[in-house]
Order: sequence, then C-alpha cells, then structure tokens
Amino acid sequence: MENIIECKNLTHYYGKRLIYRDLSFDVPQGRILGLLGKNGTGKTTTINILSGYLRPHAGECSIFGQNIRTMDPALRRRIGLLIEGHVQYQFMTIEQIERFYSAFYPGQWRREAYYDLMEKLKVAPGQRISRMSCGQRSQVALGLIMAQNPDLLVLDDFSLGLDPGYRRLFVDYLRDYAKSENKTVFLTSHIIQDMERLIDDCIVMDYGRILIQQPVDELLATLHRYTCTVPESAAVPADIDGLYHPQTIRTTLETHSFLTAQEVDRRLTEAGIPHGELTAERVTLEDAFIGLTGKY
Amino acid sequence: MKAIFYKEWLKTRWYLLLAAAVTLGTTAYSLMRIARVADMKGIAHVWEVMLSRDVVFVDALEYLPLLVGVLLGLVQFMPEMYHKCLKLTLHLPYKPIRMITLMTAFGTAALAAIFAAACLTMFVYLRGILAPELYGRILLTAAPWFLAGIAGYLTVAWICLEPAWKRRVADMAVAVPMLWIYFLAPAPAAYGAFLPLLAVFTLLTATLAWLSAARFKEGKQD
Repeated sequence: MENIIECKNLTHYYGKRLIYRDLSFDVPQGRILGLLGKNGTGKTTTINILSGYLRPHAGECSIFGQNIRTMDPALRRRIGLLIEGHVQYQFMTIEQIERFYSAFYPGQWRREAYYDLMEKLKVAPGQRISRMSCGQRSQVALGLIMAQNPDLLVLDDFSLGLDPGYRRLFVDYLRDYAKSENKTVFLTSHIIQDMERLIDDCIVMDYGRILIQQPVDELLATLHRYTCTVPESAAVPADIDGLYHPQTIRTTLETHSFLTAQEVDRRLTEAGIPHGELTAERVTLEDAFIGLTGKY
Repeated sequence: MKAIFYKEWLKTRWYLLLAAAVTLGTTAYSLMRIARVADMKGIAHVWEVMLSRDVVFVDALEYLPLLVGVLLGLVQFMPEMYHKCLKLTLHLPYKPIRMITLMTAFGTAALAAIFAAACLTMFVYLRGILAPELYGRILLTAAPWFLAGIAGYLTVAWICLEPAWKRRVADMAVAVPMLWIYFLAPAPAAYGAFLPLLAVFTLLTATLAWLSAARFKEGKQD
C-alpha cells in the first residue's frame, strides 16, 4: 500500500527542551491514523510540521512523495487542514466562506457536500461564523473539508470544545466520509473514546518517543490489563521488562502488558513480588493509552 | 486573486467606508477653512498668508492618513492572527508570498484610492482659487502624509503577521523611527525632490510582511 505521509527521524526542540528525537512513521493510503499522547508529548508539534508550519530541528516529512518544506502549493489542494478549535474566518457567513474557498478548488469543489451538512445544522446562509457555537463551527469546518474533497485530511484536536453530541456527529460523519471515499486521515484528539470509534491505526507517543504504532484492533487484542493482590507493603519496581507502569493501590497491583498471563506471572515472581492469582482483562483504547503512558 | 480580494473586502469594507468618510470629511473641512478666510479677507490675503507665513491650511490632515493606515492594518491583519487563522490562508493552494503580496496590495490600493480622492478634491477646489504654484505647494506638503498612511499600513501588516511577541515589540521599535521619516521636515513642500525616493521606500516596506509570513511558516514563537 502506498504511503501518503512519510516522516523520517524527526527531532525537535523548543529552546533547549527536547520534544522528540528520531521520530519516524508512515501513514498508508486509505487509513485513519490517530496520534495519541499526553499534553506536551508533541502532537501539535507533529501536526504543525506536517502542515508546513514548523521546520523541525532535524529529519524530514513528505506528503504524496514531496518534501513538505518545498511542496508545490498546488499539491495543497489534496490536503484538507482542520486547525485546533475548528478555527475559521469569523467575519464570514456560511455562504461567503463557501464562495471564498470554492474559488481555490476548481474542478474538485463539491458545493452540495457543504450545503447538505449546513441544512442538517439548520443555520441560515447569512449566519456569521462568529455567532455560531463551537459545535456548529466544527460542522462548518468539516463541511468545508468535505467540499474540498482532499485525498488527505490533517485534523488537529478535532474534539476540542465539542459537547458529546457534536463529537459523535463529527466522528460518524468523518469516518463514513473517509471510508466511503478511501481518504487518508491523520488526526489528534485529547478524547480517546472518540478515537476508538474512528481510527484504524494509532501511534501512542510518550515524552520524546513513540511507544507503539499499530492497528487499533491488534492493540486491543494483544494488550491486557493484569491485576492481582499483593501484600500491602510490597515494593513494586517501576521497570519490569515487558510490563507497563506496574503500580499498587493498597493491596491491588495493576499493570498492562502484551505478554501472556503466564509470562507476566513469571516476571512478577522473578522480580520478587509475592502475588495472588493474575486476572487478565481486555482493554478499551483509553485503558490501553493510560496503561501504556501511565497515569502521571 | 478575486477570491483573495473578496476576503479582504469582507473584512475591511465597513472600516474602509468610515476611513473614506473621515478622510474626505477632514479634507472638506480644511478646504472650508480656506474658503472662509477667502470670504472674510479676500483671496489675495490667502495668497499672502501662504507665501509670507508658510501656511498650507491643510494641517488637520497631517497625521490622519497615518492613523487611517495603521487602523486598516489592524482591521485587516488582526483577524488573520486570531487563533492563528493565517494557517488557513497560507494552506490555500497559492504561493504564500503571492498571497501576502495580494493581501497587502488590496489594502495599499484601498488606501491609495481614499487618499487619491482626497487629493483630487483638493486639486479640483484649489485650482479654482489659487495659482498652480500655491496649490502645488499644498499638495506637495500633504503628499508625504499620505505616503506615511501607506507606510503605516504596511508596517502594521508586518508587525501583526509576526508570530512572536518579542520580535513584534522589536519590530515596533524599528517602525516608529521609520514612520517618523515622513514627518521630519515641517516646512511646506519640504520633501519636494525627495518624494519619488520616499514613494519607493514606502513601497519597499511591503516586503517586510514577507519576512513575518516566512517566520510564521518556520513556526517561530516566543
């Protein structure tokens, strides 16, 4: 499968603070990839690099085979960009913003896709965007991207400021659109539950590095939460190979791992932790994220 | 190009209307001052005062074009920096430098139209009552003020589009003496021979906005 996005050995600093080093990832065509990470791990930095608004300290990114720093502006026709907070030109109305954007995408602009969505919102064509709620603005932004009909969508924290209803509406519309039209999507969100309904693949970032990159189905099938009882005073080392963030709350030890229960049991024993019988549970994407990155 | 001008027009139309009304209103007020003196003391007195006391009667216009230009820069470019809206503009399939050039060209053309209307109003009225040397003197005195309006607009575009606050403050510190150049010589028509150079300098300030756009694309921040 052709890679739409290819990022190699990205390293970036803000001042002397390292954001990440040697970050590499690809996004194949037709896949919806979610970038998950705690605040400050570099999600928005990555989006900014990808959308050409930040020159990384080292490394390079290409989209459709072209380096983004030297990309032909015409190629941006094929990339839809959603800015954090669904920002759009506040001084325009529903009608004016459609007229403005359509001029830049001759031959590919799908006016009806935009107005279909606006009809569902029940907003008047003359309504100014500055007078709309964040949820309504999110639909305007999505409608404009759908009308642009790009091959790649880059969405920065699409759930910011949306209530559960609008988040669900956004996710369902976006997934249906992306899947039915074979679009590639690269997105971030701080609400992981939404991502589970939407994304095919995920990258989980920790400070300075990628923890995992794999299909969500595979992640949820192979990662388990293990719990067992331990003596109240049991000391649990933080770094047991293969176990993510083992921690105890009173007499319960909890950890996440891709290993089998027998293997986890063996490693706890080897680490000298007296423990009761292990319980393995399937996890949601949010559990997996917290399990892999830790609660703190 | 039409779409870019359309966006800029939507942003600035009410302000431009107000700016045109205030500029033309102040011009009319200045001309009425001349008419009043001419009515009371005769046109010969106007000529005499202009020649012997270096009076140009349009001093009410001195800082107005600068104010009009600076405010237009704010009205046009502050919405672009609201939540980094400029990202949307520069993401459009258009060369960033050409985009910024067209945006500033719109503002420059709008200001030029307002200022030209003010100059034309002065010319039409004054040529009926004053000798060419005298009305030429008034227009040449006002010319650097109008150029200051355009330069003020272009420097505000440069400062507004700058992504980092520290650099913005530094840019402002450079902009103030830069704009002062237009008000250095208080004598009527003092800029006469220097005006073409001043006009070129004014147009060159348009390139400053490119620097800010390039820094924005680089992701510079405080």
